[in-house]
Amino acid sequence: MSFIIYALLNTAFVMLISPLFVSLIKKVKAYTQGRQGPPLLQTYYMLLKLLKKERVYSDNTSLIMRITPYINIVCVLVASLCVPVVYIPAQIAGFGSIILFLYLLVFAKFFMALAGLDAGSTFGGMGSSREMTVSAVIEPVIIIVFAALGLLLKTTNLYDMFTTSLNSSLFINPSTLLISLSLFIILIVETARIPVDNPETHLELTMIHEAMILEYSGSDLAMMEMSHAVKQTILMAVFINILIPWGLTSAPNALTVSISAVTFIIKGMVLAVAVGFFESMFAKSRLFRLPNLFMLAFFFSFSTILFELLK
Amino acid sequence: MLLAYIISGLVIMGFMLLRFFAPARRADYLNSLAIAQSAIFLILSIASLIYIPQPSFFFSRYLMIDQLAVYGALISCGIFLLASFYARGYVRRLVELHDIEVRELRLFYAAYNLLLIVVVFAFYCNNLALFWILLELTTILSAVLIVTLNAKENIVAALKYVFTASTAMLFSIIGLIILFALTKQATGVGTLNWDVLMQQAASMSPRLFTFAFVFIFIGFAAKAGIVPFHTWLPQAHAKAPSVISVLLSAVLLNIGIFGVLRLYAVAHQTAAWHDVSLILIGFGVLTIAVAALSMLPRGNVKKLVAFSSIEHMGFLLVGIGLGTPLALFWVLFHILAHALVKTLLFFSAGILHQQYHSNQFEDMKDVFTLQPLAAWGLIVGSMAIIGVPIFPVFLSKLNILTELADYSLPVLFIILLCFLIVAAAFAVILIRTIPQTGEIKHEPYRVSVSMKLPIMFLFAGIVILGVYFPGGLHNMLVGIVNSLGF
Amino acid sequence: MINLPVLDDITKILFVLVLATAALIITIRTLTSLLNIYSIQSWVIAAVAFVLYLKNGSIVLLLLAILTIASKAFLVPFVMRRIQKSMHIKRDLEFRYLTPIGSILVGTAMIFLVYWSFSQFLPELSSETMFFPGAVIGVSLALMGMMVIFTRKQMITKILGYLTMENGVLLFSLFVAELSFIIELLIILDLVMLIVLATVLAFGIDTSIDEFHDKLNSFTLWFKE
Repeated sequence: MSFIIYALLNTAFVMLISPLFVSLIKKVKAYTQGRQGPPLLQTYYMLLKLLKKERVYSDNTSLIMRITPYINIVCVLVASLCVPVVYIPAQIAGFGSIILFLYLLVFAKFFMALAGLDAGSTFGGMGSSREMTVSAVIEPVIIIVFAALGLLLKTTNLYDMFTTSLNSSLFINPSTLLISLSLFIILIVETARIPVDNPETHLELTMIHEAMILEYSGSDLAMMEMSHAVKQTILMAVFINILIPWGLTSAPNALTVSISAVTFIIKGMVLAVAVGFFESMFAKSRLFRLPNLFMLAFFFSFSTILFELLK
Repeated sequence: MLLAYIISGLVIMGFMLLRFFAPARRADYLNSLAIAQSAIFLILSIASLIYIPQPSFFFSRYLMIDQLAVYGALISCGIFLLASFYARGYVRRLVELHDIEVRELRLFYAAYNLLLIVVVFAFYCNNLALFWILLELTTILSAVLIVTLNAKENIVAALKYVFTASTAMLFSIIGLIILFALTKQATGVGTLNWDVLMQQAASMSPRLFTFAFVFIFIGFAAKAGIVPFHTWLPQAHAKAPSVISVLLSAVLLNIGIFGVLRLYAVAHQTAAWHDVSLILIGFGVLTIAVAALSMLPRGNVKKLVAFSSIEHMGFLLVGIGLGTPLALFWVLFHILAHALVKTLLFFSAGILHQQYHSNQFEDMKDVFTLQPLAAWGLIVGSMAIIGVPIFPVFLSKLNILTELADYSLPVLFIILLCFLIVAAAFAVILIRTIPQTGEIKHEPYRVSVSMKLPIMFLFAGIVILGVYFPGGLHNMLVGIVNSLGF
Repeated sequence: MINLPVLDDITKILFVLVLATAALIITIRTLTSLLNIYSIQSWVIAAVAFVLYLKNGSIVLLLLAILTIASKAFLVPFVMRRIQKSMHIKRDLEFRYLTPIGSILVGTAMIFLVYWSFSQFLPELSSETMFFPGAVIGVSLALMGMMVIFTRKQMITKILGYLTMENGVLLFSLFVAELSFIIELLIILDLVMLIVLATVLAFGIDTSIDEFHDKLNSFTLWFKE
């Protein structure tokens, strides 16, 4: 019972604030470029508008195209259950395992790649192949990063990880700082931000993620955008709750939950601003230069393991 | 006494640098100042030898004058004096050929004199960290000297020199820090002074000492041209003007060897002595082998001589590694002999370069008719450097090799083989070069008196030293060996 | 002086930053960014010196921190930027013998190597708690700097590699304090001179000989007088 309450609360909260973070990043980027940018609630308006529009499918598409948006949003929302954002619930069988979390995200990504191929257009195929290339290189790095995280916090369950970092000493653990550098890089990669991929471009040469969802329209597109935003939020949540977990609570009552929600929104906004600035500092890298960035993440996780040994 | 060095050095530098002292014939004026400084320092060193009780300490035990230091200082000042004489004519010629700009002359001579001061003080160092600092300064100053020549390859050679030497010296600092921590752990007070290290050596943990030794050795070995840190040496010695090559080969390499020698003396007091000896002999043999094999295909006279320097430094390492008092006695003698012969070789090479404007052997035609003095210098120098009997290198080689036979026969065979290769290299090249005649008749370059004098002096000096071993020298060397604790 | 465990944690965080800057120096290609990262690294090391001063109370460390900031965070980047500006070709691209990925892998291998070899000897050497991590990170920083020297073709990057080596050795030496201040001062002066010389020489490779000799004259005589 308590888990259902947690599930509803968590999912609703995540779905509610994800578009806010997306627009915040866009706004920060706009300011650094010297313009005003869209208003903060723009993404909400966009989603609502898309939900009302009709869906158009190409004649060459198959079932995959029709079910992928649903698979995407469902997988991402289930993955969001693994990441406690408002409060840490009691353990329930299987949930919170990092492997489950990673594989749900990969599952969604896989179907998205398939859907990109489905329409038979060159943009989609190109986007899918690029996405799979980048993925093939980043997945081992993600595994190593999470392995280092597991070694650091002595558990592979996200609930326990958050509890451990919540209960640990007041000051930032230096190994956590090191691993959070890697987590930041993974955040950039998985949410398709500059320097990995430009989320605002529609130029053929520079699209990766955008290319795959190019064929979607109407409520399908709304679902894809939403799942992208939710994925970003839960990855941000992993970063935030491991590095600066203050505010998060494992004892749920109305007061603590609202405090935790508010602090999460604030922390999330700070992180979104940081991501925005980070994006503004760089240009999109060429595809074969991306492994260099991943290697940095790899290096930091290796150093974390070493630091743990050095203690 | 050390104040005398400093004051005279500063006075001369002042003369050199202050603009209103510079008269019309700049090159000669600056050169006279250089000669004056070397002469003054030589006199001061001789005075230190005779009058100052050894060892004595100065400047709160950072500097000391002891027999080894004075020996090193004497050799350096002597070589600098000879080089200053030679530089008079050589630099004048370089200015005529626009190989050196006139406005660079002041920089050249200033660096030259500063180098002498730094070298002498490096020998007089008691503190290892100060020694390190002065070694780095010599790197910087000699790089500046190399670069004053008007050629791009010089800049590349100087950069390679600076980087290789300084990188290795950074390793040295790591070793020094470990050594410092080691002494702090052993006795409670950390120190980097040689005399204190000699006393405390026995109380240091041998494994940790060997660890520190390896690091420190890397730095000193790079400055002394030991393989595998020798990569800067052939280029730097070959591209530099011959005057500077003399300084690099005959003086600066010595400082590295002195550092290793003192370090070895400390190691001798610890239980790590045998490991350290092994390391030294291993590197020494490697150096001799690599140098010997590199000498064979050489077509450039200065590169050949540079590799010969590397080979001799390797030989010195082997001698030091042997660790017997006799071996060390002859190592010290070899340092002197090598310095003199190397100077002769580079002086001759310098004259030949002035004549033919090239260092390649195949360009040197009609050597005997054009430059008889330089040709004889080259021949006598080559014979001397490989160890032919009348000359002093023979004595030291013979005795060190005899000690080596006691230590290990296979190593002796390897080294003898390498020496054979070296001798063959020199012989083949000389036999091929001397009788060469060319179709174009060059004009003989008139060698100035100031360049001929040092060469004659060296001829005489080498023969005398090879035949008659001065009693004073004998006593001094025995004293040094004793003071090092062997 | 103060002996809180907080200081140890702060030191560890600073070590993390040092490692981060090391990784960036190995992989980044733009020359101006490299100089900035080097400045940041010098600041971090000065901060480590300061924290150690708070812990130990030895005044040498405080002076060393100030000296490091003055020379390495301001003076050296200033000199190098001036030289870099006067180089005619504005270079951003790098040529290298080892790819960035390879460099990172070799860097991690080096850290492990240093850790393994030091763990056999070093912990006995000092009672300072942060000595062992400090020593490992200092020496690995030096080794990574050496790797930069040998695997990059650009002269400015080689000089930066050398500077990184110096930083690593400085970090290592901080933990064995009590090297007298005069010595530290002279070492730093020495190294600054070396850097200036190397930079001037590097400048000389690209330009014509005449300009180079002008620069050489004005630079070194300015130092000697």
